[in-house]
Amino acid sequence: MSEALHRIRSGIPTAGAVVLATSLVLPPSPASLPPLHFSRLTSVAGSWRAVLDLAGAPLPFSITIEGPAGGWRGLLCNGERCEPVSGVRVTGDSVVLEIADYAASIGAERRGDSLVGVYRNEGNRGPRVIPFRAARGRWEPGPGPAALVGRWDATFYQDWRTSPRVLELRNGASGLEGTIVSNSGDYGYFSGRATQDSFALAHFDGSFVYLLTGRLDGDTLRGVLHAGLRTQTPWTAVRSTGAPFLTPPTAVTRGDTTAPFRFAFPDLDGTLVSNTDGRFHHKVVLVDVFGTWCPTCHDAAPTLVRLWRKYHSRGLEIVGLAFEVTGDSAVDNRQVRRYRKKFGIPFPLLLAGINDTDVAAAALPQLDGFVAFPTTVFLGRDGRVRRVHAGFYGPATGAQHGRLVAEFEGEIRQLLSEQ
Amino acid sequence: MRREKGEAASTAATGITVARRDRGPRISPSVLLTSHLSLLTFSLLTFCCPPLSAQTPADVTAERDAYARWLATARTSPLAAIAVAPIGNGLRLGPSDADIPLDGLAEHRITERGGRATLEGAGATRPLSRGRSVSVGPYALVLGGVPGRTVVTVFGRIHPKPAPEYFPYDPSLAVSSALEPPRQAGIVRVLALDGTEVEAAEAGTVTVDLGGTTTRLTVRRLPGDADESDLEIYFRDATSGHGSYPAGRFVSLTPLRDGRYLVDFNRARNPFCAYSSAYPCPAPWSGNGLPVAVRGGERYGEREVRGEK
Repeated sequence: MSEALHRIRSGIPTAGAVVLATSLVLPPSPASLPPLHFSRLTSVAGSWRAVLDLAGAPLPFSITIEGPAGGWRGLLCNGERCEPVSGVRVTGDSVVLEIADYAASIGAERRGDSLVGVYRNEGNRGPRVIPFRAARGRWEPGPGPAALVGRWDATFYQDWRTSPRVLELRNGASGLEGTIVSNSGDYGYFSGRATQDSFALAHFDGSFVYLLTGRLDGDTLRGVLHAGLRTQTPWTAVRSTGAPFLTPPTAVTRGDTTAPFRFAFPDLDGTLVSNTDGRFHHKVVLVDVFGTWCPTCHDAAPTLVRLWRKYHSRGLEIVGLAFEVTGDSAVDNRQVRRYRKKFGIPFPLLLAGINDTDVAAAALPQLDGFVAFPTTVFLGRDGRVRRVHAGFYGPATGAQHGRLVAEFEGEIRQLLSEQ
Repeated sequence: MRREKGEAASTAATGITVARRDRGPRISPSVLLTSHLSLLTFSLLTFCCPPLSAQTPADVTAERDAYARWLATARTSPLAAIAVAPIGNGLRLGPSDADIPLDGLAEHRITERGGRATLEGAGATRPLSRGRSVSVGPYALVLGGVPGRTVVTVFGRIHPKPAPEYFPYDPSLAVSSALEPPRQAGIVRVLALDGTEVEAAEAGTVTVDLGGTTTRLTVRRLPGDADESDLEIYFRDATSGHGSYPAGRFVSLTPLRDGRYLVDFNRARNPFCAYSSAYPCPAPWSGNGLPVAVRGGERYGEREVRGEK
């Protein structure tokens, strides 16, 4: 093993690692980078253990860069889950990973077997810049002890007020993983590692920058949710008793049940599609209020496709109402077409507006208290609202996801059975 | 890269210089020469070149570089701002007699009904959403403000200006404090850095010791995207109008690992009204006046006063 590699493997324990009382092997801080002549590999290609240096602790994730034969490609990974970046530019020892969906990028210089740079995207009140560094290799799996695994009822504290969350922690292929669930949905898949009674789980998709750190203190879990460079929200949690802790997703948004649920928006070919069309007559209809920009909607799409395939012949219709980013119909149309292709969606997707909660609420006046993307509206064969489900528990929520899919299916069967 | 500095640095050197000067008349010429040389050395160190200890930390330099680049290139840079206007009963954009005349743009109209803002013009109607820029010809629009009092900011081409200037880095201006509860928790409407109204949470107060004085400053959480938000202090000090921006400056709090917060006045930023008269200036936050000169962070100097900003 070369000296350079040895230095990286042994790592520099930063204050963050100390706080976590873990033995995270981190990429070296810039001051400790090996000099250039230690370089063994002469390209940025390969697997990299990366961190974003948040003010409170390092956020771990992985990147893989492939090329240059056939062109440069890059993957951004949280645990085993990877998404391709939209572009990779390499100039000598400089590399830029473009994440076009979020107008974001990671720019770094290779110094020996390390990368040092910044993650950035443009804000309206200034740039969002977070230090980035990486070392060659992969994160070792860091499974958590049984004492951490399970469902926790958490109380988040900010500005002397509290709000409820549920933490789902379990062990996956790459170590401890899970998610945070709020009244309006989950925060997506978190992946990381645990050491003894402490853990650090990250969710970084190129736009959302979340790090959940915690430690078991007797029967109580205590920790911090780090969002972006500087926002920190402390929390405490106790093991869930099984009693409901959050507002049930079906009690968040109410539907007008006095009249059929009305919608009328253009599909991707410009044809107006409305609830009075023959295809919806006397059918059970799921109205999926979604956006292609919304990660939880991506989580929900495969479930909806599966349900449509299973129950369409028995009278189920699904229609997606897209609330998109730009309001420019050509741009939004392209985005929604890409989404339709990605998930092989066989049901109509309509361009309903832009992704502003107020705009969506105004477009769907029969929903009272619309707060979440996605929201799934279940219509009975008479076209009236029977259930409104705010948010969606994605696969990251483990058992909750399974239960939710079973609930959706049960509700559909019930509605189909009503003639 | 870590931000764990912050304890006060000594300013004892000044005291020593004064003491020597006081003893001057009774000292032999050779000693006087030595004394003058040391004074000269001291003056050179103090006024010519920043002392070694005051080197700007790499993360502060990186932050400033990124900010300068953002000002010079971003679509929504304040250097590109043309107007900030409330939508009110409707806004006309384009023609020379419009509310906001915009060269080369056919008539457009922005209206807001039931919390829903739309842009009509050139034969099309488009919804507008808060915080997201929308292109209209060569211009960009961003909606901000609180519901019912929505404002639109119009951006055109960037008018390049020199990068912001900063006082020399002074480690004694990075102080740490506990965050004490506010007298009354709740939400207040204040103007953010960009002069738009936001609903800020009363986050509490910090106590800062600077230049031998102790001041309690109000801290508010200004909303950002998703779960990100910044704890901010909008403050004035003895440099306001005398080397720094007259209306005041913003400084963000950085959480430290012991539960306290770092307030680094070297990171103080001007509100956007310092770059463009298109922006309204946030009113000073009551009680947030420091009785000392905070010679750290962003400056606003002679160049700007002469109208060369």
